[in-house]
Amino acid sequence: MNDAIASTLTINGREHDLDVPPFYPLAVVLREELGLTGTKTGCFEGRCGACTVSVDGQTVVSCIYPVGLAYGKSVRTVEGLAHATQPLTPLQQNFLEAGAVQCGICTPGMLMTLTDLLERVPQPSEDDVRDALAGNLCRCTGYRKIIEATLATAEAGS
Amino acid sequence: MARTKDAYVPELIHPDTVDEAASELARLGKDGEAIAGATWVMLGPLYRRPTKMHYVAVGRLPELTNLAVNGESASIGAAVTFSQLADSVDPDGPLAVLNEAALGTPRAIGNVATVAGNICVHPYPAADLVPALLVLDASIDVRNGDVATTQQLAELSNASLGPGSLVTGVSANAISPRALSCHERLTVRASGEEAVASVALAVELDGGAIKSARVAFGALETRSRRCAEVEAALVGGALGDETAIAAGNLAAEALDVVGGPDAPADYKRQILPGLMKRALARLAASGKDG
Repeated sequence: MNDAIASTLTINGREHDLDVPPFYPLAVVLREELGLTGTKTGCFEGRCGACTVSVDGQTVVSCIYPVGLAYGKSVRTVEGLAHATQPLTPLQQNFLEAGAVQCGICTPGMLMTLTDLLERVPQPSEDDVRDALAGNLCRCTGYRKIIEATLATAEAGS
Repeated sequence: MARTKDAYVPELIHPDTVDEAASELARLGKDGEAIAGATWVMLGPLYRRPTKMHYVAVGRLPELTNLAVNGESASIGAAVTFSQLADSVDPDGPLAVLNEAALGTPRAIGNVATVAGNICVHPYPAADLVPALLVLDASIDVRNGDVATTQQLAELSNASLGPGSLVTGVSANAISPRALSCHERLTVRASGEEAVASVALAVELDGGAIKSARVAFGALETRSRRCAEVEAALVGGALGDETAIAAGNLAAEALDVVGGPDAPADYKRQILPGLMKRALARLAASGKDG
């Protein structure tokens, strides 16, 4: 058996040794064990996308992702996009400027999903952005300004 | 929903090889189960599905994550994810139905949801990949301890995947090198939802008429299955509304449709002609003579 997969998790570049049951949801470990409350929890069914984080470069919904499957892997949360003392990422900045944030519960998940999209598809179409947001629900903005912020980021990066 | 640490007591075992995984699962029998993305295990309490005491994590095993697509056929490791399929299978090729079925789920789910997970989860008639694999005449490779067997997906039942089983791979073959295929699903929202009805369709054309057809429906009966009556009815027809409506009406009669929380059975039967129209129209629009 693989002893190398102990209970070590690298989060935003920092290694953490954890002592939690393996089927504890990653989202809850991030928030309650590590104090990384940027990751939000909503539905706990994998439907709303508020808890989206990246594990080894792949987005996952961390409310239904057992922490035991993340051991030995690298996790990036919304706190890992830009450190508190650093400038916001272009996407974060465009969210602010476009008014893409209202209550803010969906915002961390949106940012993780759309950061992943822009890394995979640097020049997405509007349809690409809409497709990418299929698993992220927002009850405030109507998505329009979120899409505009994403397209503006892509355009500025071209 | 209240969550406590006490609810997450099962053991998670990380084998190094498929042999180790098969051995562990054989030892655990009905008390153990293989997992890759664990999506369904985590949702188990919500759907009142029984939880195992031991889970064997197979998602990192290299032998199970290989994906080889060669024109009209594909060899798919059990732990290949929906996203891998969506990224690797040509959306305009003879296996297009597989690409489309894999795109039915949001990427953050598709990055962890696997082929074998979709096949093995039961009862879940809306599993998107199953109808697509059925029209690709898929077979699945299974390990039970030291014994390796291959069986047709269409013949799969709970009894044939007994305790201690490990699905290791899936083989899929298009109806022909120039086949047209698609996966059409009806959802309550436009995206990100499970289907209330789905159809996977693969046809071979001869001079504009359907020469042969494979059709499988999902989210309608308790399990996805091919429908021989509809397949026979499509042969000789054109890729048009008349053929589609007749096939949809026939499907409504032939299938033992069950309702669900999102749609009653009668509604599902009524939308079948429309679902078939959309599917055939998309094949016609692909502009190829298979």
